[in-house]
Amino acid sequence: MSVPPMTLRRVFWRCLFLQAAWNRRGMQNLGFAYAIDPALRRLYADPGKRNEALRRHLATFNCHPYTAAAIVGGAIHHEERVAAGEEPPGAPLAYKQVLQGPLAAVGDSFFWAGLRPFFGAMAAVGTLALGWPALVAALLLYNALHLWLRWTLFRAGYRAGDDVVVRLASLSLPTWAARLRDGGAVLCGVAAGAGALSAAGRLSAGAGVLAILVAAAGIVVLGLRARLFPTVYAAMAMGTATGAVTQLLRGGR
Amino acid sequence: MDYLVVAVVAGLAAVERKGFLQAMLSRPVALAPIVGLALGDLPGGLLLGPPLELLWLGAVNMGASLPPNEALGTAAIAAGAVLAGRALGTGVTPAVAVLAIALAGTLAALGRATDRAIEEWNVRLAARAEVLLERGSPIAAVRENLYGMALPFVVSALLAPAAAAVVARVIPGVLVEFPALNAPLGWGWAALGGLAAAAGARAFRSARGIGLFAGAAAVTLAVGWLLGGIR
Repeated sequence: MSVPPMTLRRVFWRCLFLQAAWNRRGMQNLGFAYAIDPALRRLYADPGKRNEALRRHLATFNCHPYTAAAIVGGAIHHEERVAAGEEPPGAPLAYKQVLQGPLAAVGDSFFWAGLRPFFGAMAAVGTLALGWPALVAALLLYNALHLWLRWTLFRAGYRAGDDVVVRLASLSLPTWAARLRDGGAVLCGVAAGAGALSAAGRLSAGAGVLAILVAAAGIVVLGLRARLFPTVYAAMAMGTATGAVTQLLRGGR
Repeated sequence: MDYLVVAVVAGLAAVERKGFLQAMLSRPVALAPIVGLALGDLPGGLLLGPPLELLWLGAVNMGASLPPNEALGTAAIAAGAVLAGRALGTGVTPAVAVLAIALAGTLAALGRATDRAIEEWNVRLAARAEVLLERGSPIAAVRENLYGMALPFVVSALLAPAAAAVVARVIPGVLVEFPALNAPLGWGWAALGGLAAAAGARAFRSARGIGLFAGAAAVTLAVGWLLGGIR
């Protein structure tokens, strides 16, 4: 027996709540059980077997919330075979245990360290340059892309089961992640330059120079693993002090 | 009424940040304008969003690690700045923005501590789900997952307006008492912008990132000066 498309869509919707009750013991276990439950209800008419299946999905689980969609899909793939008597009940759990680490690494590297910060930087630069329409466009684009990828991964997991790794590899996500990180650094450079130009226009050329000098110092200091917020306070205090001295030198104008 | 609006927006952002969707709506670049819009000052939110986003670009939840709660910090900063700007009759100026970040920025670190406490609390939900399943109530068991969104909502809905109230009270007092601070704080804002861009570039951890960052900044400056000169 296979899970109907409507139920699959319901499971995908529930995947969006995967981390609702993230906890220190089972991590995303409750979210995983919540997501897969509609499929288990379809597959196991016998309440005892359904509860047994649900119990195995309450085992500790942790993955990237986007790429976990592939594992939820793949777990349904295996549960269908368990329900049909083609696989032992432990197969879905083994599948989850094998894939959660590698998919977490891929998700962290591509989505959290690449795609999302890239779009964050793009939205920031766009907002500085063009205002709210650029912000809305960046958010719409990010969400269209990320939701499409989440759905694609879920479907690939469901259809391919163990072969989802091959499908995932075909997306070349690590290569894209490296490109996005480079692109993000460029966007931050544009933000630094635009911020300096804005300060020069709003205050004086000196303020623009200050912004660039602080950006350069920030690159060095943060590269030495300085803590972010003390550095923020130091930058704001130094900038304000420089402004005060400049004001005094200009005779309080 | 304003603080109720801040509470609801901050609470929803806390849920979106980790428990549901994660569609960047709780990221500073989106949340600050949302808070500004909700309080009737979209330009103020748009001024704050970009530097806060770049500052906290590296604040991501990888594995079991906990970053600063940038959504809580942003909600408090943006709400406090907008309300202070309204009290002053100036809107959110660079001076107001700098003071708001100075006063409420550390709330993000407090948010990390509350996030840890919430994760400990959620262990009880998982344990209760197991008990409910043993008792033969699978629907009630999995529903426990949704209850996990309540505490982040409540914590942010309480902390963000409280911090915003402090910011909204302190800033007008400071700037009315010391109006000469406005211009120097504008320089502080310029410095913050530079640091935010650097923090963003560092967050990408790209091998070629620093060179690309420097090159892009230089090209932007050159183009800006050229266009400014032509104009």
